[in-house]
Amino acid sequence: MTLTRRDFLKATSAAALSTPFLDVGGDFLAAEGELPKRIAIVATIWEYLSHAQHMGDRFLVGYPFAGKWRRPHIELVSLYVDQRPEGDQSEARAKEFGFKVYPTITEALRCGGDKLAVDAVVVIGEHGDYPRNEKGQKLYPRYEFFREIVDVFEKDGRAVPVFNDKHLSFSWQKAKEMVETSKRLGFPFLAGSSLPVTWRLHPLELPLECEIEEALMIGVGSSDAMDYHSLEAMQCMIERRKGGETGVKAVQMIQGDAVWKAGADGRWSHALLASALSRSDTMHGDSQRPQDLANNGDLPRLAQNPSAYFIEHNDGLHTTLLMLNGAVGDYTFAARVKGMKELQSTQFFLPRIPNVTYSACLVHKIVEMIETGKAPYPVERTQMASAVLDRCLDSKVTEHRRLETPELNIRYRAPRESQFCNT
Amino acid sequence: MARPKIAAVVTEYRQNAHAQHIVDRFLWGYKWQGRHHHPPMDLVSIYVDQFGDKGDGDMSRDRAKRFPTMKIYPTIADALTLGGEKLAVDGVVLIGEHGRYPRNEKGQTLWPRYEFFMQIVEVFRRSGRTAPVFSDKHLSWKWEWAKEMVDISKELDFPFIAGSSLPLNRRMPPVEISRDAEVEEIVGLAPGGVDGYDIHCLEGMQCMVERRKGGETGVVSMHALRHGAVFKAMATGSWEAGGWDPELFEACLCRSHTLMPAREGFNHILPRPEDIPPLLKETPVAYRYEYADGTRATMLLLEGLIHDFTFAARLKGQRDPLSLRLFTDGRNPRNFFNPQVNAIEQMILSGKPTFPIERTLLTTGLTAAGVESLWLGQKRIETPHLAIRYQPTEESTFWRS
Repeated sequence: MTLTRRDFLKATSAAALSTPFLDVGGDFLAAEGELPKRIAIVATIWEYLSHAQHMGDRFLVGYPFAGKWRRPHIELVSLYVDQRPEGDQSEARAKEFGFKVYPTITEALRCGGDKLAVDAVVVIGEHGDYPRNEKGQKLYPRYEFFREIVDVFEKDGRAVPVFNDKHLSFSWQKAKEMVETSKRLGFPFLAGSSLPVTWRLHPLELPLECEIEEALMIGVGSSDAMDYHSLEAMQCMIERRKGGETGVKAVQMIQGDAVWKAGADGRWSHALLASALSRSDTMHGDSQRPQDLANNGDLPRLAQNPSAYFIEHNDGLHTTLLMLNGAVGDYTFAARVKGMKELQSTQFFLPRIPNVTYSACLVHKIVEMIETGKAPYPVERTQMASAVLDRCLDSKVTEHRRLETPELNIRYRAPRESQFCNT
Repeated sequence: MARPKIAAVVTEYRQNAHAQHIVDRFLWGYKWQGRHHHPPMDLVSIYVDQFGDKGDGDMSRDRAKRFPTMKIYPTIADALTLGGEKLAVDGVVLIGEHGRYPRNEKGQTLWPRYEFFMQIVEVFRRSGRTAPVFSDKHLSWKWEWAKEMVDISKELDFPFIAGSSLPLNRRMPPVEISRDAEVEEIVGLAPGGVDGYDIHCLEGMQCMVERRKGGETGVVSMHALRHGAVFKAMATGSWEAGGWDPELFEACLCRSHTLMPAREGFNHILPRPEDIPPLLKETPVAYRYEYADGTRATMLLLEGLIHDFTFAARLKGQRDPLSLRLFTDGRNPRNFFNPQVNAIEQMILSGKPTFPIERTLLTTGLTAAGVESLWLGQKRIETPHLAIRYQPTEESTFWRS
């Protein structure tokens, strides 16, 4: 028996795990002579610094991971873009890199033929001109894109791995249907934010099966983009708790001074706030100096229209997301874990524009799924973040009431291995 | 034990001057190990060399008003004796960075670190007592003075640490060269210019390479290049041919989070060597130096190509280079000063240097040698005076908590 390159890499990466200093990270290199995997990208728009550009380009020009410039053995063969605003780069990219832009998703997946002709589909339904609903959700057509993709799978009798960027849908029902469809057809389905896979400062991972007593996330940015990222970042930490994710029984979203009152009433933990803020590298304040923002009284003045998202899980865990625009500029997390003396906290690090290297971390996970045929982490994580956000925004428009959420009975287990970038 | 008292001796105290970042952390505390940490010591006195003209942004008087426990003294001796006769503090923080000081013909800014240090030890001598001293960045622009500073610290036997915050900061990934690794070649990549950012990069490289098998053996030669000579060297493709290992350079680029795109419309693309010159905003510089045990090193200043510090090493018997980003977050409040202030605290509390002063003595010598080599027309020079041998700390000292 001859050892393939993949066997070799499997063996070397297993060895690397036992040497703490020199894990070079996963190489998902194809075996010698193997043809490149062919992929289609289905995007809303492709313009400079849109998600489709900075993620899609990584399949064309490569990306850095673990100290090497990776050129995945993957060929982008077809593209669908839903909108072509001024600044559209889709045709220029197609011409330069030798792929084709098709007028429909179906044609992109079949590369103009009559059968599915790609080995994977990457859906990037972020950015572009789409309406918002009364809950403030931007109505990206990710569900519609997905429907058209699985229609092709069903008609052509073959399904391939799918990646969906960011939340599955603005609607919890649609997100649920997407996950169920992927299970029914049996194709690997990966989705979500880059926050769970980017670098952490410091590189905290909670031990699998630990007992989390409470958790709090601090985020910034607009709804329903950045609160989604924050929810999914928190979810990737708390899903490692004892028993795994058990679903959510109720949510509530409040805004303004009510957030501080809820803190004073003990609905969210001040100690966790202080711990999360201790991981922030971007304290705003009246002067550029170190400050104890958790305790110096400045926070209510600095935070512009703060909001709190309360999430009650079926197993009794209560978690909170605080969106604190104006006070900080980064994403931090803290948890109280049974048996650990110190609170556990970290920052999800987002490297800056233009490189936005976090998207290299995410693309590396997509490459892993395409090359191995397995999603490295469960799509239910993203389903949960999508659904929790949708129901929190329902609470926002129903007088910030607490809503029972029997429909969020989403149960799953975290992957055993850490998935964030630390190599 | 009573709370230690410390004195700060600084060139100027303005927004974003090193003195502001460091002294502010003693006054307001800073983020450390998951909480807001207040140093268990009091910064009771400060000497400020330049207040600037009226309205010039001096912050020391504002700080003294807000923190009446900290008094401004007119001389270094007064700051150390609190206006009395004898040393009255338990630690001294010397920050000779920023301010208006002349430059010499070689382009070095003549920061008065040596002069400040000599005034500090003068108080030590006449008090018959010493205290731990921290000195920011390189010890001096002048090698002989740096050597004298370290010799005096040994003679008077006080704990002395110095240097850049880079060795103490986070690493991405958080790795260390193992103590039994043989290091064949290293490359460090940095933004900025000579006599400013070279010292940071050299310190970052040195804190990694000093852990190699046998520890530090010193440096035998320095050859600095600038302008077109840098690209000529890059094109040779190896140390032997006058350049450096391109795989190490590429590994550095792959660790950067701030790589200037070489093509319009692309946000992140690996530049070819010929793509690099048009991206640069300052004269490129390379310091090629060789250690006594044969390890080869290249430090590259490529301002405009990247805005962060990265490092790569070729280890004997390893297929892939070891590489990382030496992380400093440039956003306010510049938390990369946190581990530096913590290292000062540790020294004052323990009475022991947190890491060897020989590291900064060597990087000070390397900086001066690089400047000298450029001054002599990019001439390779022998550096017998840099036969500095030392062992690293047992434990890692970078920020990993």
